[in-house]
Amino acid sequence: MAIVSVDNVSKDYMLGKTVVPALREVSLQIDQGEFISIAGPSGSGKTTLLNLIGCVDTPTAGTVVVNGQDTSLLPERALTDLRLHTLGFIFQSFNLVSVLSVFQNVEYPLLLQGGMKRRQRAARVLELLDAVGIKEYARHRPSELSGGQRQRVAIARALVTKPRIVLADEPTANLDSATGENIIDLMKEMNRDGTTFIFSTHDPKVMSHANAVVRIADGRLVERQQLARSGGSR
Amino acid sequence: MNPRRDSVRILLTIAFRNLLASPVRTAILGAIILVGSLIVVVGTSVLDSIDRGMRTSIQGSLGGQLQLYDGRSEDQLALYGEMTGESRLEPIEDFSKVKAALAGLKNVKQVVPMGIDQAMVTTGNAFDLAVERLRADARRLESGETGPDLDKAYLAHKAHVRHMCELLSDQLKQARVLAAVSGKEAEERKKDRTHLDRAISPEFWDAFDRDRYGNLEFLENRIAPMVLDNGFTFLRYVGTDPQAFFRAFPLAQISKGEMIPEGRRGILVGEQYADEWLKLRNARRLDQIKDMRDRRGKRIADDEELQRWVRENRTGINEIMLQLDPVKAEQVASELRSGLGATEGETLEQLLQKLFATTDQDFDSKYKLFYDVVAPRIRLYQVNVGETITIKAPSKSGYFSSVNVKVYGFLRFKGIERSGIAGMMSVLDIHSFRDLYGYLTPEKREEIARMKAQLGAREIAREDAESALFGGGTALEGQARAGAIDERKLVVGREEVRKAAQEERIYTDADVDEGVALNAAVILQDPRKMSRTADEIRKALDRAGLGYKEVRGPDHQVAEKKGIRVIDWQTASGIVGQFVTLIRIVLFTAVVIFFAIALVIINNAMVMATLQRVKEIGTMRAIGTQRRFVVIMLLVEIATVGVVFGLGGAALGAVVVGIIRLAGGIPATTDMLYFVFSGPALFPRLGALSVGTSLTIVLLVAVLSSLYPAILAMRVTPVEAMATEE
Repeated sequence: MAIVSVDNVSKDYMLGKTVVPALREVSLQIDQGEFISIAGPSGSGKTTLLNLIGCVDTPTAGTVVVNGQDTSLLPERALTDLRLHTLGFIFQSFNLVSVLSVFQNVEYPLLLQGGMKRRQRAARVLELLDAVGIKEYARHRPSELSGGQRQRVAIARALVTKPRIVLADEPTANLDSATGENIIDLMKEMNRDGTTFIFSTHDPKVMSHANAVVRIADGRLVERQQLARSGGSR
Repeated sequence: MNPRRDSVRILLTIAFRNLLASPVRTAILGAIILVGSLIVVVGTSVLDSIDRGMRTSIQGSLGGQLQLYDGRSEDQLALYGEMTGESRLEPIEDFSKVKAALAGLKNVKQVVPMGIDQAMVTTGNAFDLAVERLRADARRLESGETGPDLDKAYLAHKAHVRHMCELLSDQLKQARVLAAVSGKEAEERKKDRTHLDRAISPEFWDAFDRDRYGNLEFLENRIAPMVLDNGFTFLRYVGTDPQAFFRAFPLAQISKGEMIPEGRRGILVGEQYADEWLKLRNARRLDQIKDMRDRRGKRIADDEELQRWVRENRTGINEIMLQLDPVKAEQVASELRSGLGATEGETLEQLLQKLFATTDQDFDSKYKLFYDVVAPRIRLYQVNVGETITIKAPSKSGYFSSVNVKVYGFLRFKGIERSGIAGMMSVLDIHSFRDLYGYLTPEKREEIARMKAQLGAREIAREDAESALFGGGTALEGQARAGAIDERKLVVGREEVRKAAQEERIYTDADVDEGVALNAAVILQDPRKMSRTADEIRKALDRAGLGYKEVRGPDHQVAEKKGIRVIDWQTASGIVGQFVTLIRIVLFTAVVIFFAIALVIINNAMVMATLQRVKEIGTMRAIGTQRRFVVIMLLVEIATVGVVFGLGGAALGAVVVGIIRLAGGIPATTDMLYFVFSGPALFPRLGALSVGTSLTIVLLVAVLSSLYPAILAMRVTPVEAMATEE
């Protein structure tokens, strides 16, 4: 069963008095464990689609069903909870909380979720930091880290709650290509235990790592190209 | 650990770290809050202390907790007078009824009848005094007493009076050169001149002993009235039951002499009033210089006012010279000579000049010298304990009446003795007060009863007494005036008998109560229940048919007011009471303005801070932070600043208050302040209430000013997190 189901979705924005259609009747099914790339030139509607899947925005028409829940039927609080428990986010500009240490940034979603003992939580955070290779920077502030290191922190933060879906909006755009490649490799590694990754990019090299590429232009879905089977869906 | 506590912890961590992340902003916000808190703490501490001081001063000296007065009065009761003088009050006709109405109330401890007004006191002059002394000697001689001391004194006093006549003659000659007049006045003057010429002629004095009483009479009747400095002053007094008054007002103390014996007529003169108006001016100025030097640390060398006093004292020695007869003059001169280290040749005048030419170096020794050598030999006050003084006042029906009352002592109000507002007050027995104003006194009541018996008169109403007695018959102006009895007509020929009887008479409590009072002080068992008791009193008065009512006319204007009004001490204190209200308004306005500005600044700063953090807030929202969390985070931030700096400001305020106390308080530089502070300086006390108030205000303002930024933060959508930086 699809973990994300986008059905005939349109999204319009108001720019002054004119209506700007960002997405037009897009339908898309994403299965559990996919490592899928949404590609297209800037302004094509990639981010809008990610926002809709990420429950940070709601469609003008059509339905988005995430993990079995129709987002247009959920109130704000429930959407927030859905984001907290089911989704993980990785941003183009990392978006770490500047006043918190690396450890605290990663710990933060766990604190929001609650229900975990302090020691358990610390173990989980360190496990993730170890997995992304920056355990020794746990006590540092984000401003003391390089871009690649920051994105690693962001990945750890996105995965710490064991979300079913991770959304990444141009995760490599602010990184040099080697570092970007590393990040994608890291994400792919994380994908192995079944977490669904949906990331947008316009970099063909990054796209090539995905098991499927969804191409978007002018708000319309152009094609869905299957490249390879991802590990997680088996 | 409790998961909820964990999220609170992270919330606090983020909030604190955000504060530390922008130290300049935090410091500015903190400084504003700190100053605001400081102002509120110090301001309310000072104000509370003033409030306490006023309460002590007013409740303990004259006000009690509540005051009653007649509702028909034109003015509102003002215990300490108004700008224009005393408040015009209609009398409470029968005080005993009011007292009876309040008798059953549990919280009412005492009801003290009062009548406050001003009266003239004739102070006499040095000439009267000299003649008085001479008369005393003459009386002893006439009664056959002899002795070298008496002879010596008699001669000295005679020489004194003669010298004064000569001085007076010179004075008048000069004065009359200046102003020439004609007609009847000129004739009067001619007569005066003849009398004076006689009084300075050697023949008069040579033949003086042949008719001592006759000659003394001549001096008293013909010469004394010519003395120009025959003065009077105004005395502010409260006519009351002295015993009850002292029970009711704990600040009242006898500073000299004794208490008016129970049931007697008499007066206790306000000490400050005596010092200011009745004391020998040179002595008074010495006191003032001493006071300024001791209390205010002023120096003659650099203070213009002190220098002026020294100058005036040097020209004022005539007043002392006139009082010294030759014997005393010699004694003073010789003692001053040794005290000042002067030579034999220097005259008394030169010595006194020297004595009063004080400098900072010799002031204290000369002050002591004056009080050791000169003061005991002169009359330091124009009125002394044990003497009988004459008080005059226009009574309610217009003519001047006068009463003679014995001065039993001087009176002061502890702690506020230097305040002109309380210290000026004298205490007079209520019967003398009623006499002065032509209200019915026990004597008059008896007089009327006697007359009625003689005339076989029918029962008449008190208001009609005058017309009934003197056959006026028609409506008289004075009729509406309560108990206004024309004293002159009533007591023709009995004046002397009456006055002698009055001095001896012992009045009962009923005499005190059954009569007129202008107002009454109510002393409560528990002053904290003041407003509730005031209501009870109003109800009790209503039940007794004495309640205050306003009757409205057809035009809805108040046509008639009647009954007894009940007001609290603060209202009753008039302008003085408004002083605190005024300071309160000023402080309140300042605080409001300050915090209004603070509100705008804090609001701006927090809006900026929020806008700067839109992306971060958006991110937090995207990864699952609820709106509530964001809002609380922001409020915690500003509340932390509020609490920390508010407490800091309060602590600083405590330090400021402490420093003020250590430095000797805020000095009372004026009479008014002396009274308001209930002492020479105000020692502000830090109250838990003022600290609490300031923290509450600060927090409220801080949180209030962050509401808009919090709303902004709440509106930040997670989409913002996705926005790229370009």
